[in-house]
Amino acid sequence: MPITIPPFLQPGDTIGITCPAGYMPLEKAQTCIDTLPAWGYRVKVGATLGSESDNYFSGTDNQRLAELQQMLDDPEIKAILCGRGGYGLSRIIDRIDLTRFRQSPKWIIGFSDITLLHTHILTRCNIATLHAPMAGAFNDGGATSPGVVSLRRALAGEPLTCHAPTHPFNRFGTATGPLIGGNLALLAHSIGSPSEPDTTGSILFLEDVGEYLYNIDRLLRQLERAGKLNDLAGLLIGGFTELKDTVRPFGASVEEIIRDAIGTGPYPVAFDFPVSHGKENVALKVGATYRLQISSEGTVLQE
Amino acid sequence: MNRKNFLSSLLTIGAAGPVLAESAPAKARATSLLSIPPYLRPGDTIGITCPAGNITAKEILPAVQQIEAWGFRIKVGDTVGEKDSIFGGTDAERAADLQQMINDPGIQAILCARGGYGAVHIIDQLDLSPLANHPKWIIGFSDITVILCHLHTNGNWASIHSKMCNSFPDDWSKAEPAQVDSILSIRKALSGERMQYKVVPNTRNRNGRAEGPLVGGNLKTIESLAGTRSDIDTAGKILFVEDTGEYLYSIDRMFWHLQRTGKLDRLAGLVVGGFKIKPDDPGDEFERTLYDIVTERVRAYSYPVCFDFPVGHQKENYALKYGIPHLLDVREGEVTLTDTSVPAPTTIPGA
Repeated sequence: MPITIPPFLQPGDTIGITCPAGYMPLEKAQTCIDTLPAWGYRVKVGATLGSESDNYFSGTDNQRLAELQQMLDDPEIKAILCGRGGYGLSRIIDRIDLTRFRQSPKWIIGFSDITLLHTHILTRCNIATLHAPMAGAFNDGGATSPGVVSLRRALAGEPLTCHAPTHPFNRFGTATGPLIGGNLALLAHSIGSPSEPDTTGSILFLEDVGEYLYNIDRLLRQLERAGKLNDLAGLLIGGFTELKDTVRPFGASVEEIIRDAIGTGPYPVAFDFPVSHGKENVALKVGATYRLQISSEGTVLQE
Repeated sequence: MNRKNFLSSLLTIGAAGPVLAESAPAKARATSLLSIPPYLRPGDTIGITCPAGNITAKEILPAVQQIEAWGFRIKVGDTVGEKDSIFGGTDAERAADLQQMINDPGIQAILCARGGYGAVHIIDQLDLSPLANHPKWIIGFSDITVILCHLHTNGNWASIHSKMCNSFPDDWSKAEPAQVDSILSIRKALSGERMQYKVVPNTRNRNGRAEGPLVGGNLKTIESLAGTRSDIDTAGKILFVEDTGEYLYSIDRMFWHLQRTGKLDRLAGLVVGGFKIKPDDPGDEFERTLYDIVTERVRAYSYPVCFDFPVGHQKENYALKYGIPHLLDVREGEVTLTDTSVPAPTTIPGA
């Protein structure tokens, strides 16, 4: 069954902003709220953004679920931008009713914890979503960064072409397939659950933040042992930022750990791909088909 | 070595019967015959190996001396004293050392020197088939949860979840009673004593009685086995979990993972051990306790739940016979977990 691509946005369309996971103060999203109208869109700010919540989450499970559900079902809202990630999708994901969303698909935008929503929607609905910067990425001049600009272009329907420099560990080759991926820890977390994606024939992209080096290794071993790395079309290694090491140092760089853990499958692999919790985070359509070329000249990913 | 007392018995059915009958065909291997290796007798040999993190020869000396004082012989594996990155040797060296001990008919038990990280690198290389002719106990916890789960799922081999070489006190006269009792419980378990644990009741417990094989281990490690050959089926079983160094949000996510992967809904009972919790970062206060997290996740079910069981990365970490039927009895005044595979009762003092 071919993937369903939600309609791209038209000037005057409305983007809803919600926080389905961690808490986010309103002022942290203000630049985003001010910028989207300059792109030609209306903004509807959900109550979970800058809510009264005084704990980790942006609201109770029921509040976060109700707002996400309302935005999924509201025909006036053409795209849903998650304010931030953090943690919290796991607690509500099985209660999301995707009936209306299936009938009227719209773009869901986010990354990190939102990875679970991407894999869930891909697996349950076969509808494309946008792995892309969230509201906080607009701050401190970020609104003109390549990542946020790529989000603007993606929403408007411009196909992506993304270049990355070469890396000594790259495995050259070309591949065509649906793009899937996101946060490594969340992908592993989806395994065995109703949100677990099938990666066969896909171009998989991975990134993570704040993990111990040994845990990056363990997460990759889980993906490998669960068959998620066996039959890939290609693999894109994004940024692994703010990593931690144990008292006894692992003694290898994260690139070396990844190179050794992914095995020797026959597919092309590129490191240093610009998807991460850092500054580089290009908008990628999860589920859409891309062409990947990895050569000594560098990496090109093209829709 | 020609042991005649090798036990092979059906799982104790009891209350778990109907649940086992519901198990999906894909998980049928988990209902294969339980294999209990022969318990050890004086003069038997225990091999020490490092399937995960590295350890020095000096660091295992307290364990060697103590185990020899119990009347067992020790065979120190080649990986003790080896080091490659954080591991006790290369993957090939660690796999070979453990495999050699599995194959060796002169070894009746294999004690993992320590956890750390790395068992998952070698688990798929292991050939467990020699265990059929030379069944033996494999002992450890933390990262060794990989091996215990794998043994349970691939052949239904009983094993021992307990402290390892790195937890034996240098000076017994100065060790805390809980640590000493925990170490001595390894000997009791290996010697075939009926294990019974008495736990101080927690007000958040859920009362009830449950019988089933005891499985579980380190929660993070259990999550990391999902979707793999080593993943455990928990239906009809008593699940125990412990962890260390995790944030509350991460513990919450792991309990959601247990639930979302079908590991909570058909349990016979749940045993929550020690959790060393990493303090929340300022501004990210989770405002739920471990008790809240677990209580929320098991609300829809009716099986007994016991908190604060003495298992985990702590002084009180009693040896548990993994995969073997136990009776969990959670009551207002008393909580007991009893090994039902051995008839003669022995109570562990202090447990």
